[in-house]
Amino acid sequence: MYGLYFHEETKIDTAVIIPVYNEASVIGPVIKKVKKHFATVICVNDGSRDGSSAQIVKAGGILIEHAINLGAGAATQTGVDYALLDPKIRYFITIDADGQHEIEDAVGMIKFLKKKDLDIVLGSRFLSQPENIPAPKRLLLKLAAIFSKGMSGVQLSDPHVGLRVFNRRFAKNLNLTMPGFAHASELVHRIGEGDFKFAEYPIQVIYNDYTRGKGQSMLNAVNISVDLFHHRISKK
Amino acid sequence: MIAIQVILVAGFTFLFWRFLSNPGSHQVHAWIKIFTFLFTVLAIIAVIFPNTSNRLAEAVGVTTGASLLLYALTLAFIFVVINIYSRGKEDERRRALIVRRIALLEAQLRNKKKS
Repeated sequence: MYGLYFHEETKIDTAVIIPVYNEASVIGPVIKKVKKHFATVICVNDGSRDGSSAQIVKAGGILIEHAINLGAGAATQTGVDYALLDPKIRYFITIDADGQHEIEDAVGMIKFLKKKDLDIVLGSRFLSQPENIPAPKRLLLKLAAIFSKGMSGVQLSDPHVGLRVFNRRFAKNLNLTMPGFAHASELVHRIGEGDFKFAEYPIQVIYNDYTRGKGQSMLNAVNISVDLFHHRISKK
Repeated sequence: MIAIQVILVAGFTFLFWRFLSNPGSHQVHAWIKIFTFLFTVLAIIAVIFPNTSNRLAEAVGVTTGASLLLYALTLAFIFVVINIYSRGKEDERRRALIVRRIALLEAQLRNKKKS
């Protein structure tokens, strides 16, 4: 009985945020899977031109639309801002739209966050199945981890992961301002700045031709690094 | 020669840093105007007295006036590129704020109508 109650509680006090950019072919099933566990699924359509919006509405997601493409960071922040408007929401989950994450992992992460009384739990591919990650991607992620540690002082095995779970306190402090994928480093920086309690959690990531095609390239890492450097020395 | 190089590189690095770290400030805009004015004055002097650039070049340890001009142009170009990049980033940030605000308002409105 208690178990059921706990499950219901999880459903209403948690918002799942999915940044969506041209994912019409996969977003529907992803939302449906998430909705089995969580009632509030906020999808931020980040200027898609492929009918992603219609798929989101059809699958029962809450649709928020960026008029133009701003990148995953801005989309995530918009979703978090929207979720914060509802005072009932105490926990936030961010998940990629391409179906590479398992929502069951997020359920586990929420339980882990509550049990350990943490502010944020980040998924990590390296704690579970590093051998499944394609070799060039593994190298890129390792470099990102070293870079991230240098910039923020926070030691993570997989700072660029899209699956994260955090509480309201962290959500209020998130304030992602960086475009595109540099936001992952910015998020890690927030953890270091605010002295938040964090931990990593082993997750499964499904690599297929679709998710591989969507991944970050080595050259984009250069863009991210320059953006971060510029952001760091800019006074706001 | 080495001394003037060190001074120039250090001076310009400092200026770039200031401009890059605070692209929208009044100070930066004022400095851009001062530099433009100085460049114009120097250009007029160089046209009227063609030998000045050579003499100035010799004074700072550069062989010819044309080389000095090339150095100055290169530095000015780098400065312009950095400034455009910084402004672009600032515009991007502002545009993101507006787009996100509209998206949130629209979503709130849509959900109010629904409920």
